[in-house]
This record gives sequence, C-alpha cells and structure tokens, in this order.
Amino acid sequence: MQDHVQLSQTKINDDLLAGVLGMPKWWLPSVVVLVLIIFTGLGAYGYELNKGLGVSGLNRPVFWGFYITNFVFWIGISHAGIMISAILRLTQAEWRRPVTRAAEVMTIFALMAALSNIMFHVGRPWRLFWVYPYDFSRGIFMNIRSPFVWDPSAVMTYLIGSSLFVYVALIPDIAIVRDKATGKFAPKIYGVLCLGWRGTPRQWRLQAIAGILLSALVLPVFVSVHSIVSWDFAVAIGVEGWHSTIFAPYFIIGAIHSGVSAVAMIMALAIWLWKLENYLRPDHFDAIGRLLIVVAVTWFFFFFVEWIFALYTLEGPELALREFQVFQAPNMWLFLGFLLTAFFIPVPMWMFKRVRRSPMLMFFSTILVNVGMWLERFLIIIPGLARRQPLSFDWGTYNPSIVEILIVLETFAFVALGMLLFAKFFPIIPIFDMKEGMEVREEIKIGRRIVPASIRETP
Amino acid sequence: MASHTDNGEYVEGMYVPFTSPTEVVNDLVNNHVKVSDMWLRGVVAASILLVLGIIGFVMNVMEGVSDRAVWAYYALMFSFILTTASAAPMVAIATRMANAHWRRPISRVAELWSAAGLFSLLLFIPMLWILPPLNDGRRSLWFYDVNDAFFSRVPIYSPHIWMSAAILALVALGVILLWLSAMPDLALMREHSTGWRQKWAARLSKGWVGSSKQWNMLYHRMGVVGAFYFMMLVFVHFLVSTDFLMALVPGWIDSLYPLTHAANSLQAGVATVILTMFFLRKFGGYEDYITLDQFWALSKLLFALSLLWFWFWFSSFNVFWYGKKPSEQAVLGYLMTGAYQPAFMAGFVLSFLTPMWFMMWNRVRKSFWGPAVMSVSVLVGTFFDKLRYYVPAWSVNDIGIVQKLGEPGAAHEMALDNLPKVNMPGVADVFIVLGVFGGAVLFYLLASRLIPPINIWEQKELVLYKFHKAYHRTEVMVLGKPR
Repeated sequence: MQDHVQLSQTKINDDLLAGVLGMPKWWLPSVVVLVLIIFTGLGAYGYELNKGLGVSGLNRPVFWGFYITNFVFWIGISHAGIMISAILRLTQAEWRRPVTRAAEVMTIFALMAALSNIMFHVGRPWRLFWVYPYDFSRGIFMNIRSPFVWDPSAVMTYLIGSSLFVYVALIPDIAIVRDKATGKFAPKIYGVLCLGWRGTPRQWRLQAIAGILLSALVLPVFVSVHSIVSWDFAVAIGVEGWHSTIFAPYFIIGAIHSGVSAVAMIMALAIWLWKLENYLRPDHFDAIGRLLIVVAVTWFFFFFVEWIFALYTLEGPELALREFQVFQAPNMWLFLGFLLTAFFIPVPMWMFKRVRRSPMLMFFSTILVNVGMWLERFLIIIPGLARRQPLSFDWGTYNPSIVEILIVLETFAFVALGMLLFAKFFPIIPIFDMKEGMEVREEIKIGRRIVPASIRETP
Repeated sequence: MASHTDNGEYVEGMYVPFTSPTEVVNDLVNNHVKVSDMWLRGVVAASILLVLGIIGFVMNVMEGVSDRAVWAYYALMFSFILTTASAAPMVAIATRMANAHWRRPISRVAELWSAAGLFSLLLFIPMLWILPPLNDGRRSLWFYDVNDAFFSRVPIYSPHIWMSAAILALVALGVILLWLSAMPDLALMREHSTGWRQKWAARLSKGWVGSSKQWNMLYHRMGVVGAFYFMMLVFVHFLVSTDFLMALVPGWIDSLYPLTHAANSLQAGVATVILTMFFLRKFGGYEDYITLDQFWALSKLLFALSLLWFWFWFSSFNVFWYGKKPSEQAVLGYLMTGAYQPAFMAGFVLSFLTPMWFMMWNRVRKSFWGPAVMSVSVLVGTFFDKLRYYVPAWSVNDIGIVQKLGEPGAAHEMALDNLPKVNMPGVADVFIVLGVFGGAVLFYLLASRLIPPINIWEQKELVLYKFHKAYHRTEVMVLGKPR
C-alpha cells in the first residue's frame, strides 16, 4: 500500500461511526424506495401463490427459469465474503482490512436472497417442510440421494458459518458503538451484543483465534456450497450441456468472479455514500483489480475447457445444443452480451493501472461482470431445457413473465436494503482492523529509498 | 521509521543469522564452489540409475513400438517427471508474485528443477513414435474427422505437433527463467571465482553490473516469463492429459481431468521442493538459510493443495458415479474399482488421506521431518495415481471405434467393451522407472554445480527487508514490501 493515509484512532472512530451514530440525508429515501420495490416483489409473489406457477413463464419442458438462474447468481455473489475475508485473512494480505466486513455482510444477505428464490420457485413453499429438517418419527427418511436435500443442507451450513464469521469479527466494533451510543436502549442492546467485550489481552487472543479457525473451517463449506449447486445440474444426464465434470470448479471460479466484482462495486459505493476515501484508497482498487484479472482469466480458461470438451464429445445432441446457444436468436445475442460483459470488456480495461485505480471505472466494469455472470447462468439453464431431449417430448420456449421479473428485482432490492440497514447499525468498515492496520504500518529506509513495511508477530 | 541498527541476531535459529549482505555473499559463494562428498555420491548413484534406465529403454526398443502396452510405464514416468520436476519452479514463480519473503532462500531450489525439464524433453521424443495418429479413430482435441470435407484436412499428427511445440516452449521458458533469476548471482560468481566457473559465469551474466535499469528489467522479465511458464504448464497438462491419455480410453470424457492433472502437478511440485529443501539442508550445508520458516510455509501450501486434489477428484468421480452413464461406469470400473484398484487406493491414501490427516496438525507442519515425510507420501501417491491412469490407458491397444466411424451416432457409442487385463511391470519397466528418477536427479545435481542452489541476491534483499525490533514489551518482525 503505497498511498496510505495515517489516521489517528479518534479520527477512525469519528469517520467510521458517522453512519451509525448519525443518519446521512440519502439513507431514509433510499430505504423507502427499496422497501417499495420489495413490497412490489412480494405482492407479485403473493399473486403467484394465489394463482399458481402458471403466472410465471415456466412451462414444459422449461421447468427452471429466472428463479433458478437468480438462485445460482446469488449463491455466486455470496462467495465474495469468504473469498475476500477468509483467504486474504489467512494469507495476511494487508489490503483486505477495509473491505472484509462489507464482503462478509453481502455474503449473508446474498445467501438469504438465494434461499428465497427456491421458495419462489417451488410454487408450494409449504412443501419445503418435507425436505429439511426431517421428522424421524414419521418413519420416512429424507432422500439423501437428492441434490435438493444437499442444497439446503450446504446453504444453511454456509449461512450459519458466515453469520458466525461476521459476528465474531464484529464484537470489538460493537463494544465501541456501545461506548459511543446515546439514548436509553441502544447502549444496552449493544452491550448485550458485544458479550461484555473489554479488550483484554485474553479477549483479543480468543477473538483472533476464533477468526482464524472460522476462516479455515468456513473455506470447505464455501467450496461445498457451489459445488453442490453445480451438481444439481451436472449429475443429470438427461439435459444436454449439464453433464460435465468441470461444473463444480467452474461454478466456483465463476462465483468468485462475480462475487469479487460485487465487492469492488460496493467499495466504490462506500466511497460515494459514506465518504470513506481515506480508507478505501486507489491502492485497494488496484489490488482488487489485479485479483480480478487473475480470477477472470482463470474463469475464462475453465469456460474454454468446458466448451472444448462439449465439442470433444462429438455427440450430436451436445453439438446441436451449443449451436442453439451460440448461433440462434435470442440466445446468440445473450451469449454475445455475456462474453463481452463478463470478460472481453472488463478484463482489457483492468489491464490499465489508471482504470484499476479509478473507483468510477471499477464500478462500471464490475457491474458489467455481474450482468454477464447473470446471463451466463441463464444460458446454462434455459437452452438445455428448451431443446427437445430423449426424456422430453417437445421443444420449449421460455419468456419470463412480469411476475418473475418483479420477484427477481425484489431480491436485488432485498440485498441492497440489508446492506443499508446493517450499515446503519454497525460499522461497514471494521474499526478495530483499521486501527490495527495503522498500528502495524512501518517504513524502512534502504539507501535513498523509503520502503513501506508492516509489523508481524514473530512466529 | 525503522533503521537497520536493530537488525538483531536470530531467534532460535529460525531466521537468517547474518547481519550484512557481504557475509551472505561470502558464505554462499564459498559453499557453492566447494564440491562435497555427498554431491559426488549423489551423482554416482543417479548415474547408475540412469544407466539402468537406458538398459530398460533399449529392451523396450527391441520390443518395437507397435504394441503401446509395452511403453505404458515409460509414459507413466514421462508424466511423473512432468508432474513433479516441471511443476517445481511454480513454487518460485507464485511466491515471488505474492512477494512472500520466506521464498527467498528456496526460490532457486525450485527453479533449478527447470534443468530436469530438459530431461523430460528427451523422454518425450520416443513417445512421438508410440502414440497413434488421429486416423485410427480415437478422439482428439483437434476435431479430425475422416468423413467431413473440412475436418479431414486436420493433420493426423496434430497431437504430436502441438504437444511438441508446447513442451519445447515449457522447457525453454523454464531455462530462461532460471537464467534470468541467476544472472545477478552469476555476476557474483564472475567476481568471486576462478577458472571455468568464472568463464561460464562471465559469459552468462551478460555484463550484469546491477544498475537500476538492469534490476527493473530483471524484475519485469522474471514476472512475464513466470506468468508464461504457468500458462504453458497448464496448457501442457491440458494436452498431455487429453491427447496422450484420455483419448486412448473410449468413453472417457472428463472435462475436469486436464485441470486435475495440472492441480496434481502443483501439489507434487511443492512436495518435490520440500524434499529437495530437506536434502539441501541436511547434506548441502544450507541449514542457516533453509529454516523452519520455509518448511512451515510450504507445508501449509501442500496441505491446501492436497485438499484441492481431493476436491477435483471427487467432483469428477461424483458426476460419473451418480450419472450412471454406461460408458462412464466402464471407465470407473477400469481405472478405479477394477484391476487397478490397489494403485488407486495407494494414490488416494498417500496423496490425500495421509497428508490431510497429518498436516492438519501444526506440530507436523512446523517441523523439518513432518513436511519431508508428507512430501514422500505425496510423491509416492502421485506415482500410483499416475500409474492407475497411464498404464491402463496405454494398455488399451484396440481403441475400438475405427470400424464404427462413419456410422450415424457412432461417436456416441464409444465405450470400453472389454476391460483389458492388468499390465504388471516387467524388468525393463522397473529399470525405466528407476532410470527416469535417476536421470531427473542427475540433471538437478549437475545444474546445482553451475548455478548456486540458494538465490544469493534474494537472500541479500531479505537481510535488508526483514529484521526484528522491540515493540512495547515484546519483539516483532518488520517486513518491507518494496513493490
């Protein structure tokens, strides 16, 4: 970090608690707009519940549409938190400090949004009771061979693990809010939430150990979640284009691509909304931009291998599906849009340092990535189902209805609202982590050069 | 701002015990120029093994190249060297990109394995004669189709051509990387040695004087060549695992396998470096440089890569097993649950279960013996894992679809009709296994005489960038991050 700004502890408290102890002007109108969108979406869902799934665009044989696309998309976004936080924490990357909390919180709301899509999709959500958890006294064992049992198990485990992860890292900051909050109830509530944190050496040691342990333990869960989502598709041999062994890592690297992009987007928003430019420096965007280049190129390589092997099979139906995806409208336009937005526009942009260091350009390029990655999921799911298969008797088409569109918009509003509410009650940048970053910052003089350095504990 | 006046002496032998770059240079140069008994013994032993390998090779040549099964163990060893020695330089490349200071004493240890890449190039040449062309009906990445006007124009030796180009590029990049990284050290050797070593160093150091411009160029070039090496390594694994392996087994279509092959090579590459470090520390006189730091850091990486190996393997297995497609079930039966099950189990236990179980404990990771023993486990596991893939694949003599090509849907039906018998190693195969192992080690040992196995300039940088200082009531480490 070359363009570091050294700040005092008081200044850090003042800056990072400004959104918690006060209320920015834009906050309330934004919340109202998001709540309106959410209620519109929920109204559409109520209509779907009342009339049945017929009001959606789903039909035979295209039984999976916008909801499942959106489910996979939000599961992908949820991978950002762990990627940024756990991996960078374990590798002691200094630039992680201001971005971890937003990424972790986004994980939680994205997972909730993903789970809600399953509820929207099944049509009769009360039947979810039969999936999980199960009542052994009924003498019926759940079908553990079904991916639809694997999914909720993995996603719920991930949600619990991520929530714990956020909470453990939040405790020292809640204690600061407790000390600064005014009013009758707020200090008491924060007092309960911070579990009596006083900042003793023992508490710090336990918190650090818990953070490292959770980082290590949540990583396999992070990997398992999207692997299992990918196996929803890959274990099926009846749909062309789905039965591919590469799907698990391909989905994960795609998830990291979209998730890390979403984190960069939120970083830019945080600068504009909460005026956090002293904390989120161009160096941070540069670092995340470099990471995105590596992730995007790796993802593209997986995409390339997946395609090569689809052609390598020399199986007629598989080749016909690929032709349907790439050369026939409207899929061809979506495919073109997907390639341009997910890779061919953003990655060349990130090659330039000036782009990587610009919050505005990073914001737009990462939005493009997420548009592209949403389209990618759509193109994996829909064309395969729309083609006539040995197990389906006819071709199908799919046009999303207004109900589905409103519900999908609702999930975006839900995640945005969740982030805004969280930032109103808790610091969106970890205060203790930033203070530690300032404290461990060093400079050493070598010859005529001053080299940035950091202090580490001796192993 | 910190100064180097508090650049203290070492804490329990865990870091470099030198306080000045000059002492580092003197010590490492002196160590490099003297020929130790252990080095000589190593060269003799490796040469004997190589001679055995050459005998085995000649025995195979006398059998001819028409029966591919005879060459199955040879293919296995080619792949083993590609997976271990050729991947070892990645330890230097990746850690240098991540600016990890602990890499400094071992980056050359890893890069020197590029020299063994030359040996893998030699090993590859006979395989060009053994591997069938595309017109025998096997699958190919290059989409050759005898029945299609356009695709029938694809050269029938496309796999041979592309693989030759790729492996040549990989070996060249490895040697260039080694040369680039050694250039400042060669300049040192030019100044501090005499005789043939001075002449050799003067010629290869290319007038290096250590100007700012030269250093900037060096960092830049090493970054670029390293990135290309990584991409080429993945590409070579992609080609060899499809055209030279998967394509030989009808019905084996596993889009993840090329990446599993590459991931396995990263795991085995780290194991190779750990084991080399262990021997250099124990017998090479570098115990002051190769410390617990390096073993600890690399063992974490080895642990993570072992888990990655399992995840890739399980992702493929699960899709095949759950899908219940007959052609895929036949492949599982052949490579995993049938006659080659012992090899599969050995690979699984040694490449995954053993490292996972033992390396989850910090006490094992943070030791000299723990990572070394686990590396042996991973390397032996990798050997068996490669065995259960390459030997059966090269033993399918009748790829079995020639006659079906041209019939509608023929490609869809490609599957193993009969599972061939297990191909047990003969005397020639045992000789070849030993010889290839000996050859790779011999190339490494010879290269280590020409270029110092410890990177002197990076070690000098370490003295400047890393030191200890008092901090409140404790002592901390200060790490400079120059770029």
